Amino acid sequence: MSAANSQPIVDIRHINKSFGALKALNNVSLSMALGEKVVIIGPSGSGKSTLLRSINKLETVDSGSITVDGQNINDPGIDINKLRMELGMVFQSFNLFPHKTVLENVTLAPIKLKGLSKSEADAIALKLLDKVGIKDKAHVYPSRLSGGQQQRVAIARALAMSPKIMLFDEPTSALDPEMIGEVLDVMVTLAKEGMTMAVVTHEMGFAREVADRVVFMDHGVIIEVGTPEHFFQNPENERTKLFLSQIL
Amino acid sequence: MTNRQKIDVGEGAAIPTRNDWGLFNAWMISLVGAVASILYLLIAHPEPYRRLLVYLGDGIVITFKVTIASILCACCIGLITGLGRVSKNKVINLIASTYVEIIRGIPLLVQLFYIYYALGRFLNVPDLTAAVIAMSVCYGAYMGEVFRAGITAIDKGQTEAARSLGFNTRQTMFLVILPQAWRTILPPVGNEFIALLKDTSLVSILAVADLLRRGREFSSETFLYFETYTMVALVYLVITLILSKGVSFMEARLSHYVRR
Repeated sequence: MSAANSQPIVDIRHINKSFGALKALNNVSLSMALGEKVVIIGPSGSGKSTLLRSINKLETVDSGSITVDGQNINDPGIDINKLRMELGMVFQSFNLFPHKTVLENVTLAPIKLKGLSKSEADAIALKLLDKVGIKDKAHVYPSRLSGGQQQRVAIARALAMSPKIMLFDEPTSALDPEMIGEVLDVMVTLAKEGMTMAVVTHEMGFAREVADRVVFMDHGVIIEVGTPEHFFQNPENERTKLFLSQIL
Repeated sequence: MTNRQKIDVGEGAAIPTRNDWGLFNAWMISLVGAVASILYLLIAHPEPYRRLLVYLGDGIVITFKVTIASILCACCIGLITGLGRVSKNKVINLIASTYVEIIRGIPLLVQLFYIYYALGRFLNVPDLTAAVIAMSVCYGAYMGEVFRAGITAIDKGQTEAARSLGFNTRQTMFLVILPQAWRTILPPVGNEFIALLKDTSLVSILAVADLLRRGREFSSETFLYFETYTMVALVYLVITLILSKGVSFMEARLSHYVRR
């Protein structure tokens, strides 16, 4: 299950996390190689979002270790803000900054955190907005955009920091059905370019097309890990079978 | 923006646009009424009203000075207190909360007396400064609560988005949270401004020659109580009405990014 020869870029070992009495993550281990696409699926409340959010420390785990790009994120000596710049994150609810235009949303972090000049940042941002197909909306406020458009801007915003890894937390779950495709297209393009991606999603088509490995979680435990072929054609675990029969 | 509003509200329907009704709203009635009354009194009864208004002039200036200085200081204190109240640092949080609890539990008039007379025994604080300090310390606590509420009202996702990009807590607060919080904060802060302006009349108890104090001096010399306090009330009314309109104007300016 661990990446064979190269050192993993993300190495999660035996992590546990509880919210009060609820055990959200129970002894979870997972590692990702550079360029690998891992899709995490499972019923709601299975801990998949918590797992993803613990990779960039939006959730702090109770025990276990998480190493990103060779750095243990729970090491108190680590500059978590610096590490987070390498980890782009896309949220279910987009979370664009409503008081900034689309362009400003994308340029804010590169200008303030990487010290780029406004014109440098604008050039990069416009290129990215073009890539996600939304360049013409650069100067409007997010409230004027559809959900799909907002989510594509959010992807561009994360990419503007040139992260090594992209984390997607149910990026299409808050979208109207007709907008899901436009966001997935962007993600597929990104995957084909070799981006390392961890994606929590319910889009099985995406998992089948893009994933190197599919991870199935339930009740805070990783039940099964495998290639999409293995996963969708002959899953081993009963719970996996049950879950897939319900959603496919 | 005005154009869009007009179209939204009025297009194709027999609903009067906002602007049509604007002339008749309560704010306009009050302002026109107050200004007209002042003008009428000045023209119809130049004596004593003109002399009175000239006499009150210095007081109006003082009232403005105390108000503006106190608003500025109270906003700074309020911002610091509000940030302290949402701070994860327990000590800072406790200090800010204790300050708010203590100040909110003591009447402003008592605080004024305390700073002016009680502390005056140890420190020689000029009248005007004492007034501004007391007003700021008091209103800073109230504004701290307003700031706190405005900050906590911003969706948690905003903080998460900023942090995930690599911003630290301070950058997140000043680049992402506060610029959005102003919009929620401004209406109640505007109300605090207006309340503060009215409460500056309390400093007339000290030796500060504000609008009310000047009125008291005038009436005690002339015994023209009715005339004096009518004019004092009208002047306060005009000032607060203009201030409240200024606040709603700023509010509209700050919401430019919100879809209507």
